[in-house]
Amino acid sequence: MSAPTTPDTELVELETPIGREWEPVVRLVLGGVADRLGLGFEELDDLQLAVERLLAEAGAQPSVKLALELSPDRVRAHVGPLREATIAAALQGPSVPGQLGLRRVLETVVDSFGLDDSAEGELVVRLEKRVPRR
Amino acid sequence: MTTASAHGPSASPDRELLRRYHVHGDVSAREALVERHLPLVRSLARRYAGRGESLEDIEQVGAIGLIKAIDRYELAREVALTTYATPNVVGEIKRHFRDRGWTIRIPRALQELNVKMSGAVERLTVRLGRSPTIAELAQELDATPEQVLEAVEAGSAYSPVSLSASPGTEDDLDLMEVIGEVDKEFARADERASLEPALGELPERERRILRMRFEEGLTQTQIADRVGLSQMHVSRLIRRSLEDMRDTLSR
Repeated sequence: MSAPTTPDTELVELETPIGREWEPVVRLVLGGVADRLGLGFEELDDLQLAVERLLAEAGAQPSVKLALELSPDRVRAHVGPLREATIAAALQGPSVPGQLGLRRVLETVVDSFGLDDSAEGELVVRLEKRVPRR
Repeated sequence: MTTASAHGPSASPDRELLRRYHVHGDVSAREALVERHLPLVRSLARRYAGRGESLEDIEQVGAIGLIKAIDRYELAREVALTTYATPNVVGEIKRHFRDRGWTIRIPRALQELNVKMSGAVERLTVRLGRSPTIAELAQELDATPEQVLEAVEAGSAYSPVSLSASPGTEDDLDLMEVIGEVDKEFARADERASLEPALGELPERERRILRMRFEEGLTQTQIADRVGLSQMHVSRLIRRSLEDMRDTLSR
């Protein structure tokens, strides 16, 4: 998984098992990052929800890496590699009318999202949340 | 001159309202009864404050007990509504704590901080005109940022009751611009189609919240204002609803 950084960015990485019992670990890490960036409480909640829903769709794989690329004006999360083919299907193409799928959730709660890498059946999803100007 | 006994149920305003509701189906009489006895609910709810949940939430649960008591009341009974409603309200609150309470053992200090946090988020949101940062919340609560994050996490160990049965009115909903922008890999869908078919069997309150969040793009704070809950409560309901929907689909 690549998470390119520049001199004014910091990188925080975590490899975690996937499962509901591990979600608090991910949320706390995201919370610590949000505190250091000055991200609002509600924006933090949005980012946590985006990562949680993505991991919930990840299916039966044992673990995943979360790389958080931090710069003063945004946090960019790289989540993967994810092996679940349904994630790619859920993210690509338009939102299905009448369905509240992963894509619709991400469109609402993060500023942008996309695929970093999708080689050999594995993909890394990028989520970006901006830090509002105070 | 004939005078009614002060204690005689047959002469009380409650009795007349109950008769209008049960005999004539007058819903406004039911609403009037709820309004008259909300102070009783608040009084009973206060007894259960400080147990890891906001007083506002306990009052709403108690109000459900009151409504059930009004609906179940039998006119043939010569008993005051307050006497009949009290065990119903208390029972509803106790059931709430038993069934929906803290699901894992959380230190009391964290529970208390979590309860204070909901009010602090709302105060700061009003004061600052935006969602507060973790550092601002910590300062407001005289806690460290780490304690604030732990207390938020403690809240996730708590499952809020569905408030779909509580009284409320459907407000006219204003469409707002959806937050976010187009990513170069994924063009945003132009239409924000109705989510109704996806909401399945969720309670009406949760359906309404999901529509506001994912169809109309309202923020949690805006939703909280409209439905009369705290932002943190709205957050928990959204999470639980999405999980419920996914669980349903995977069955």
